[in-house]
Amino acid sequence: MFDIDINSRTPIYEQLYRKVIELIIKGVLGEGDKLPSVRALALDLHVNANTIQKAYTLLERDGIIYSLAGRGSFIAKPDHLLAQEYILGDFDKAVTAALQSGITSGALCERIDTIAANQGGDSQ
Amino acid sequence: MMTLQTTTKSFGEFKALDAVDLEIPTGSAFGLLGSNGAGKSTILRLLCGIYSPEGGRVLIDGEDVYDNVAAKQKVFFINDETIQFSHFTLRQLKDFYKQFYPGFSEEIFKKLEGAVQLPMDKKLSTYSKGMKRQAIIITGIACCTPYLLLDEAMDGIDPTMRIIVKRMLIDAMCERGLTVVISSHNLKEINEMCDTAALLHKGHIIFNRQLDSLKGAVHKVQTVFADKQREYTAEDFPGLEILHFAKTQSIYHIIAKGEEETIRQALAPAEPVVCDLVPLTLEEIFIYELEGLGYDSNVFA
Repeated sequence: MFDIDINSRTPIYEQLYRKVIELIIKGVLGEGDKLPSVRALALDLHVNANTIQKAYTLLERDGIIYSLAGRGSFIAKPDHLLAQEYILGDFDKAVTAALQSGITSGALCERIDTIAANQGGDSQ
Repeated sequence: MMTLQTTTKSFGEFKALDAVDLEIPTGSAFGLLGSNGAGKSTILRLLCGIYSPEGGRVLIDGEDVYDNVAAKQKVFFINDETIQFSHFTLRQLKDFYKQFYPGFSEEIFKKLEGAVQLPMDKKLSTYSKGMKRQAIIITGIACCTPYLLLDEAMDGIDPTMRIIVKRMLIDAMCERGLTVVISSHNLKEINEMCDTAALLHKGHIIFNRQLDSLKGAVHKVQTVFADKQREYTAEDFPGLEILHFAKTQSIYHIIAKGEEETIRQALAPAEPVVCDLVPLTLEEIFIYELEGLGYDSNVFA
Protein backbone atom coordinates (compact mmCIF):
# COMPACT_ATOMS: atom_id res chain seq x y z
CA MET A 1 0.00 0.00 0.00
CA PHE A 2 2.82 2.41 0.84
CA ASP A 3 5.04 1.47 -2.08
CA ILE A 4 7.79 3.96 -2.77
CA ASP A 5 10.28 4.48 -5.58
CA ILE A 6 13.85 4.27 -4.33
CA ASN A 7 15.23 5.60 -7.60
CA SER A 8 12.98 8.64 -7.59
CA ARG A 9 14.43 12.11 -7.26
CA THR A 10 11.90 12.83 -4.52
CA PRO A 11 13.18 12.06 -1.00
CA ILE A 12 11.66 8.90 0.48
CA TYR A 13 10.06 10.71 3.44
CA GLU A 14 8.34 13.11 1.04
CA GLN A 15 7.05 10.24 -1.10
CA LEU A 16 5.61 8.63 1.99
CA TYR A 17 4.05 11.90 3.13
CA ARG A 18 2.35 12.33 -0.24
CA LYS A 19 1.32 8.67 -0.30
CA VAL A 20 -0.61 8.96 2.96
CA ILE A 21 -2.43 12.07 1.71
CA GLU A 22 -3.21 10.33 -1.57
CA LEU A 23 -4.64 7.31 0.26
CA ILE A 24 -6.82 9.62 2.34
CA ILE A 25 -8.07 11.45 -0.75
CA LYS A 26 -8.87 8.16 -2.46
CA GLY A 27 -10.74 7.03 0.63
CA VAL A 28 -8.46 4.07 1.28
CA LEU A 29 -7.54 5.54 4.65
CA GLY A 30 -10.21 7.18 6.78
CA GLU A 31 -10.48 8.94 10.10
CA GLY A 32 -9.25 6.81 12.99
CA ASP A 33 -7.50 4.22 10.79
CA LYS A 34 -4.25 3.01 12.28
CA LEU A 35 -1.01 3.43 10.34
CA PRO A 36 1.63 0.70 10.52
CA SER A 37 4.27 1.30 13.20
CA VAL A 38 7.50 2.97 12.14
CA ARG A 39 9.35 -0.29 12.70
CA ALA A 40 6.85 -2.39 10.75
CA LEU A 41 6.89 0.00 7.81
CA ALA A 42 10.71 0.26 7.86
CA LEU A 43 10.94 -3.54 7.71
CA ASP A 44 8.25 -3.77 5.05
CA LEU A 45 9.83 -1.19 2.74
CA HIS A 46 13.36 -2.07 3.97
CA VAL A 47 14.25 1.56 4.37
CA ASN A 48 15.82 3.31 7.33
CA ALA A 49 13.42 3.81 10.25
CA ASN A 50 14.59 7.42 10.73
CA THR A 51 13.21 8.17 7.25
CA ILE A 52 9.80 6.72 8.13
CA GLN A 53 9.83 8.60 11.42
CA LYS A 54 10.53 11.83 9.57
CA ALA A 55 7.47 11.35 7.35
CA TYR A 56 5.28 10.54 10.37
CA THR A 57 6.57 13.58 12.25
CA LEU A 58 5.72 15.87 9.32
CA LEU A 59 2.28 14.28 8.89
CA GLU A 60 1.61 14.85 12.56
CA ARG A 61 2.89 18.42 12.43
CA ASP A 62 0.46 19.14 9.61
CA GLY A 63 -2.45 17.60 11.47
CA ILE A 64 -2.93 14.75 9.01
CA ILE A 65 -2.24 12.05 11.56
CA TYR A 66 -2.11 11.98 15.35
CA SER A 67 -0.31 9.58 17.64
CA LEU A 68 -1.26 8.10 20.96
CA ALA A 69 1.58 7.10 23.25
CA GLY A 70 2.03 3.34 23.20
CA ARG A 71 -0.80 2.79 20.73
CA GLY A 72 0.46 4.11 17.43
CA SER A 73 -0.41 6.65 14.75
CA PHE A 74 -3.90 7.26 13.41
CA ILE A 75 -5.49 9.23 10.60
CA ALA A 76 -6.95 12.50 11.88
CA LYS A 77 -10.24 13.99 10.75
CA PRO A 78 -9.55 14.66 7.06
CA ASP A 79 -9.15 18.31 6.22
CA HIS A 80 -10.87 18.70 2.86
CA LEU A 81 -9.35 22.08 2.16
CA LEU A 82 -5.86 20.65 2.64
CA ALA A 83 -6.68 17.72 0.38
CA GLN A 84 -8.03 20.00 -2.31
CA GLU A 85 -5.04 22.27 -2.05
CA TYR A 86 -2.81 19.24 -2.53
CA ILE A 87 -4.65 18.14 -5.67
CA LEU A 88 -4.81 21.68 -7.04
CA GLY A 89 -1.05 22.02 -6.56
CA ASP A 90 -0.49 19.23 -9.09
CA PHE A 91 -3.17 20.73 -11.32
CA ASP A 92 -1.42 24.12 -11.32
CA LYS A 93 1.86 22.51 -12.35
CA ALA A 94 0.23 20.61 -15.21
CA VAL A 95 -1.59 23.75 -16.42
CA THR A 96 1.61 25.82 -16.29
CA ALA A 97 3.48 23.22 -18.35
CA ALA A 98 0.61 23.05 -20.85
CA LEU A 99 0.41 26.82 -21.25
CA GLN A 100 4.19 27.01 -21.72
CA SER A 101 4.03 24.43 -24.47
CA GLY A 102 1.53 26.62 -26.33
CA ILE A 103 -1.79 24.99 -25.44
CA THR A 104 -4.41 27.72 -25.00
CA SER A 105 -6.47 28.13 -21.87
CA GLY A 106 -9.57 27.67 -24.02
CA ALA A 107 -8.36 24.24 -25.13
CA LEU A 108 -7.64 23.32 -21.53
CA CYS A 109 -11.13 24.35 -20.41
CA GLU A 110 -12.64 22.27 -23.19
CA ARG A 111 -10.57 19.31 -22.06
CA ILE A 112 -11.78 19.70 -18.49
CA ASP A 113 -15.37 19.67 -19.76
CA THR A 114 -14.69 16.50 -21.72
CA ILE A 115 -13.18 14.75 -18.71
CA ALA A 116 -16.07 15.85 -16.52
CA ALA A 117 -18.59 14.58 -19.09
CA ASN A 118 -16.83 11.21 -19.27
CA GLN A 119 -16.85 10.94 -15.49
CA GLY A 120 -20.61 11.43 -15.62
CA GLY A 121 -20.33 14.55 -13.53
CA ASP A 122 -20.98 18.10 -14.55
CA SER A 123 -18.52 20.94 -14.87
CA GLN A 124 -20.67 23.58 -13.19
CA MET B 1 29.69 8.27 18.25
CA MET B 2 32.59 7.36 15.98
CA THR B 3 35.03 10.12 15.15
CA LEU B 4 37.98 10.67 12.85
CA GLN B 5 40.03 13.72 13.87
CA THR B 6 42.38 14.98 11.14
CA THR B 7 43.19 11.35 10.47
CA THR B 8 45.93 10.53 8.00
CA LYS B 9 46.95 7.09 6.74
CA SER B 10 49.49 6.17 4.09
CA PHE B 11 50.63 2.93 2.56
CA GLY B 12 54.19 3.50 1.36
CA GLU B 13 54.04 6.45 -1.01
CA PHE B 14 50.27 6.27 -1.30
CA LYS B 15 48.28 8.59 0.92
CA ALA B 16 45.00 6.73 1.46
CA LEU B 17 43.52 9.34 3.82
CA ASP B 18 44.63 12.94 4.09
CA ALA B 19 43.67 14.76 7.31
CA VAL B 20 40.08 13.54 7.29
CA ASP B 21 37.52 14.79 9.83
CA LEU B 22 34.38 12.72 10.18
CA GLU B 23 31.68 12.21 12.79
CA ILE B 24 29.29 9.28 12.69
CA PRO B 25 26.49 9.88 15.20
CA THR B 26 25.17 7.03 17.33
CA GLY B 27 22.04 5.45 15.91
CA SER B 28 22.60 6.62 12.36
CA ALA B 29 22.99 4.55 9.24
CA PHE B 30 25.98 6.06 7.53
CA GLY B 31 26.91 5.44 3.89
CA LEU B 32 30.46 5.74 2.56
CA LEU B 33 30.53 6.48 -1.14
CA GLY B 34 33.54 6.98 -3.32
CA SER B 35 35.60 6.13 -6.35
CA ASN B 36 37.78 3.02 -6.28
CA GLY B 37 40.75 3.63 -4.00
CA ALA B 38 39.08 6.68 -2.45
CA GLY B 39 39.74 5.51 1.12
CA LYS B 40 36.44 3.88 2.12
CA SER B 41 37.90 0.59 3.32
CA THR B 42 40.77 2.43 5.02
CA ILE B 43 38.23 4.41 7.08
CA LEU B 44 36.40 1.22 8.07
CA ARG B 45 39.64 -0.52 9.04
CA LEU B 46 40.67 2.47 11.14
CA LEU B 47 37.26 2.58 12.83
CA CYS B 48 37.53 -1.03 13.99
CA GLY B 49 41.13 -0.72 15.12
CA ILE B 50 42.82 -2.93 12.51
CA TYR B 51 44.92 0.03 11.31
CA SER B 52 46.56 2.55 13.55
CA PRO B 53 46.22 6.13 12.37
CA GLU B 54 49.45 7.73 11.22
CA GLY B 55 48.29 11.22 12.10
CA GLY B 56 45.24 12.40 14.03
CA ARG B 57 42.94 10.21 16.11
CA VAL B 58 40.23 7.59 15.64
CA LEU B 59 37.72 7.49 18.49
CA ILE B 60 34.77 5.40 19.57
CA ASP B 61 32.64 7.11 22.19
CA GLY B 62 35.61 9.36 22.91
CA GLU B 63 38.24 6.63 23.29
CA ASP B 64 41.06 5.80 20.91
CA VAL B 65 40.16 2.48 19.34
CA TYR B 66 43.57 1.19 18.27
CA ASP B 67 44.93 -1.41 20.73
CA ASN B 68 41.95 -0.81 23.00
CA VAL B 69 40.02 -4.02 23.71
CA ALA B 70 37.06 -2.34 25.40
CA ALA B 71 36.55 -0.01 22.43
CA LYS B 72 37.05 -2.78 19.88
CA GLN B 73 34.38 -4.89 21.56
CA LYS B 74 31.89 -2.22 20.58
CA VAL B 75 32.56 -2.77 16.88
CA PHE B 76 32.03 -5.63 14.49
CA PHE B 77 33.65 -5.30 11.08
CA ILE B 78 32.44 -7.23 8.07
CA ASN B 79 35.35 -7.27 5.69
CA ASP B 80 34.94 -7.21 1.93
CA GLU B 81 36.69 -10.58 1.84
CA THR B 82 35.86 -13.49 4.15
CA ILE B 83 38.48 -15.86 2.87
CA GLN B 84 40.36 -16.16 6.19
CA PHE B 85 37.64 -18.33 7.75
CA SER B 86 37.31 -20.97 5.07
CA HIS B 87 38.49 -23.83 7.30
CA PHE B 88 35.79 -23.06 9.90
CA THR B 89 32.25 -24.36 9.91
CA LEU B 90 29.55 -21.79 10.67
CA ARG B 91 29.23 -23.26 14.16
CA GLN B 92 32.98 -22.83 14.75
CA LEU B 93 32.86 -19.30 13.33
CA LYS B 94 30.09 -18.40 15.76
CA ASP B 95 31.92 -19.94 18.73
CA PHE B 96 35.12 -18.16 17.71
CA TYR B 97 33.53 -14.71 17.75
CA LYS B 98 31.52 -15.49 20.86
CA GLN B 99 34.77 -15.57 22.86
CA PHE B 100 35.62 -11.99 21.91
CA TYR B 101 32.22 -10.34 22.07
CA PRO B 102 30.65 -10.57 25.55
CA GLY B 103 27.31 -9.31 24.20
CA PHE B 104 26.91 -12.27 21.81
CA SER B 105 23.33 -13.56 21.78
CA GLU B 106 22.66 -17.22 20.95
CA GLU B 107 18.98 -16.39 20.76
CA ILE B 108 19.46 -13.74 18.06
CA PHE B 109 21.92 -15.95 16.19
CA LYS B 110 19.38 -18.76 16.12
CA LYS B 111 16.67 -16.46 14.83
CA LEU B 112 18.91 -15.06 12.05
CA GLU B 113 20.28 -18.51 11.18
CA GLY B 114 16.69 -19.75 10.84
CA ALA B 115 16.04 -17.04 8.25
CA VAL B 116 19.08 -17.75 6.06
CA GLN B 117 19.17 -21.54 6.59
CA LEU B 118 22.85 -22.20 6.10
CA PRO B 119 24.41 -25.59 6.90
CA MET B 120 25.93 -25.17 10.39
CA ASP B 121 28.47 -27.98 10.18
CA LYS B 122 29.88 -27.63 6.68
CA LYS B 123 33.18 -25.85 6.16
CA LEU B 124 32.84 -22.31 4.84
CA SER B 125 35.15 -23.33 2.00
CA THR B 126 32.22 -25.33 0.58
CA TYR B 127 29.97 -22.23 0.75
CA SER B 128 29.37 -19.96 -2.24
CA LYS B 129 30.52 -16.35 -2.03
CA GLY B 130 27.05 -15.12 -1.13
CA MET B 131 26.61 -17.83 1.54
CA LYS B 132 29.93 -16.87 3.17
CA ARG B 133 28.76 -13.28 3.34
CA GLN B 134 25.48 -14.30 4.92
CA ALA B 135 27.37 -16.42 7.46
CA ILE B 136 29.59 -13.54 8.55
CA ILE B 137 26.73 -11.01 8.53
CA ILE B 138 24.47 -13.03 10.83
CA THR B 139 27.44 -13.75 13.12
CA GLY B 140 28.22 -10.04 13.19
CA ILE B 141 24.67 -8.98 14.00
CA ALA B 142 24.41 -11.64 16.74
CA CYS B 143 27.52 -10.21 18.43
CA CYS B 144 25.19 -7.33 19.42
CA THR B 145 27.84 -4.64 19.24
CA PRO B 146 26.63 -1.03 19.24
CA TYR B 147 28.50 -0.46 15.95
CA LEU B 148 28.51 -2.58 12.81
CA LEU B 149 30.75 -1.84 9.83
CA LEU B 150 29.98 -3.37 6.45
CA ASP B 151 32.49 -3.15 3.61
CA GLU B 152 30.73 -3.90 0.33
CA ALA B 153 28.72 -6.30 2.43
CA MET B 154 25.95 -7.11 0.00
CA ASP B 155 28.37 -8.22 -2.71
CA GLY B 156 27.47 -11.62 -4.09
CA ILE B 157 24.18 -11.87 -2.20
CA ASP B 158 21.06 -12.64 -4.22
CA PRO B 159 18.15 -10.14 -4.36
CA THR B 160 15.86 -12.06 -1.99
CA MET B 161 18.62 -12.54 0.55
CA ARG B 162 19.54 -8.85 0.28
CA ILE B 163 16.09 -7.89 1.44
CA ILE B 164 16.34 -10.36 4.32
CA VAL B 165 19.74 -8.97 5.34
CA LYS B 166 18.48 -5.38 5.09
CA ARG B 167 15.52 -6.28 7.29
CA MET B 168 17.88 -7.86 9.84
CA LEU B 169 19.87 -4.62 9.96
CA ILE B 170 16.78 -2.40 10.18
CA ASP B 171 15.42 -4.63 12.94
CA ALA B 172 18.65 -4.30 14.94
CA MET B 173 18.62 -0.53 14.38
CA CYS B 174 15.03 -0.26 15.67
CA GLU B 175 15.45 -2.73 18.52
CA ARG B 176 18.72 -1.62 20.04
CA GLY B 177 19.80 1.53 18.23
CA LEU B 178 22.57 -0.17 16.26
CA THR B 179 24.82 2.26 14.37
CA VAL B 180 25.65 0.98 10.89
CA VAL B 181 28.38 2.18 8.56
CA ILE B 182 28.09 0.82 5.02
CA SER B 183 30.49 1.25 2.14
CA SER B 184 29.00 0.38 -1.19
CA HIS B 185 29.00 1.13 -4.88
CA ASN B 186 25.34 0.27 -4.94
CA LEU B 187 23.82 3.71 -4.58
CA LYS B 188 20.29 2.37 -4.46
CA GLU B 189 21.20 0.40 -1.37
CA ILE B 190 22.83 3.40 0.31
CA ASN B 191 19.74 5.41 -0.58
CA GLU B 192 17.41 2.92 1.08
CA MET B 193 19.38 2.10 4.17
CA CYS B 194 21.22 5.26 5.11
CA ASP B 195 20.18 8.60 6.53
CA THR B 196 23.58 10.22 6.05
CA ALA B 197 26.31 9.72 3.47
CA ALA B 198 29.83 10.97 2.81
CA LEU B 199 31.49 11.04 -0.60
CA LEU B 200 35.24 10.34 -0.66
CA HIS B 201 37.74 10.91 -3.42
CA LYS B 202 41.51 10.42 -3.23
CA GLY B 203 41.62 10.41 0.55
CA HIS B 204 39.47 13.51 1.04
CA ILE B 205 35.84 13.97 2.00
CA ILE B 206 34.01 15.80 -0.76
CA PHE B 207 30.77 16.12 1.15
CA ASN B 208 29.10 14.67 4.22
CA ARG B 209 25.40 15.31 4.60
CA GLN B 210 21.95 13.97 5.23
CA LEU B 211 20.61 12.17 2.19
CA ASP B 212 17.29 14.02 2.28
CA SER B 213 18.97 17.40 2.11
CA LEU B 214 21.40 16.15 -0.52
CA LYS B 215 18.58 15.36 -2.90
CA GLY B 216 17.44 18.97 -3.31
CA ALA B 217 20.96 20.35 -3.25
CA VAL B 218 22.06 19.82 -6.86
CA HIS B 219 19.93 20.40 -9.94
CA LYS B 220 20.02 19.48 -13.56
CA VAL B 221 18.93 22.42 -15.73
CA GLN B 222 17.83 22.40 -19.34
CA THR B 223 17.42 25.89 -20.64
CA VAL B 224 17.23 28.03 -23.76
CA PHE B 225 18.24 31.68 -23.49
CA ALA B 226 16.53 34.54 -25.34
CA ASP B 227 19.64 35.51 -27.29
CA LYS B 228 20.18 32.38 -29.36
CA GLN B 229 23.15 33.82 -31.24
CA ARG B 230 25.21 34.35 -28.13
CA GLU B 231 27.51 31.59 -26.86
CA TYR B 232 27.23 31.47 -23.08
CA THR B 233 29.87 29.83 -20.91
CA ALA B 234 29.92 28.88 -17.23
CA GLU B 235 31.79 32.15 -16.55
CA ASP B 236 28.68 34.12 -17.52
CA PHE B 237 27.02 32.97 -14.30
CA PRO B 238 29.50 33.87 -11.56
CA GLY B 239 26.93 33.52 -8.77
CA LEU B 240 26.40 29.85 -9.55
CA GLU B 241 28.47 26.84 -8.56
CA ILE B 242 28.46 24.86 -11.80
CA LEU B 243 29.56 21.22 -11.98
CA HIS B 244 28.82 20.66 -15.64
CA PHE B 245 28.09 23.01 -18.53
CA ALA B 246 27.33 21.85 -22.08
CA LYS B 247 25.33 22.96 -25.09
CA THR B 248 23.62 21.00 -27.84
CA GLN B 249 22.04 23.14 -30.54
CA SER B 250 20.38 25.94 -28.61
CA ILE B 251 19.76 23.97 -25.43
CA TYR B 252 22.10 24.38 -22.49
CA HIS B 253 22.60 21.45 -20.11
CA ILE B 254 23.82 22.68 -16.76
CA ILE B 255 24.41 20.88 -13.48
CA ALA B 256 24.49 23.42 -10.69
CA LYS B 257 24.55 23.36 -6.92
CA GLY B 258 21.86 25.13 -4.96
CA GLU B 259 18.14 25.27 -4.35
CA GLU B 260 15.80 25.68 -7.29
CA GLU B 261 15.08 29.38 -6.58
CA THR B 262 18.77 30.31 -6.25
CA ILE B 263 19.53 28.73 -9.61
CA ARG B 264 16.60 30.41 -11.36
CA GLN B 265 17.68 33.79 -10.03
CA ALA B 266 21.27 33.27 -11.15
CA LEU B 267 20.13 32.39 -14.68
CA ALA B 268 17.56 35.20 -14.88
CA PRO B 269 19.91 37.87 -16.36
CA ALA B 270 20.34 35.70 -19.50
CA GLU B 271 16.54 35.69 -19.90
CA PRO B 272 15.76 31.99 -20.23
CA VAL B 273 12.76 31.34 -22.47
CA VAL B 274 12.57 27.75 -21.29
CA CYS B 275 14.07 26.58 -18.00
CA ASP B 276 13.45 23.07 -16.68
CA LEU B 277 14.96 22.06 -13.36
CA VAL B 278 15.06 18.61 -11.84
CA PRO B 279 16.93 17.55 -8.72
CA LEU B 280 19.68 14.96 -9.29
CA THR B 281 19.49 11.34 -8.26
CA LEU B 282 22.17 10.07 -5.90
CA GLU B 283 23.91 8.35 -8.78
CA GLU B 284 24.00 11.57 -10.82
CA ILE B 285 25.33 13.49 -7.81
CA PHE B 286 28.10 10.93 -7.46
CA ILE B 287 29.07 11.16 -11.14
CA TYR B 288 28.92 14.94 -11.50
CA GLU B 289 30.65 15.71 -8.19
CA LEU B 290 33.58 13.53 -9.22
CA GLU B 291 33.53 14.84 -12.78
CA GLY B 292 34.10 18.28 -11.25
CA LEU B 293 37.26 16.83 -9.69
CA GLY B 294 38.55 15.41 -12.94
CA TYR B 295 37.19 11.86 -12.45
CA ASP B 296 35.25 11.82 -15.67
CA SER B 297 33.15 9.11 -17.29
CA ASN B 298 33.38 10.97 -20.61
CA VAL B 299 37.01 9.91 -21.15
CA PHE B 300 35.64 6.81 -22.82
CA ALA B 301 32.83 7.83 -25.11
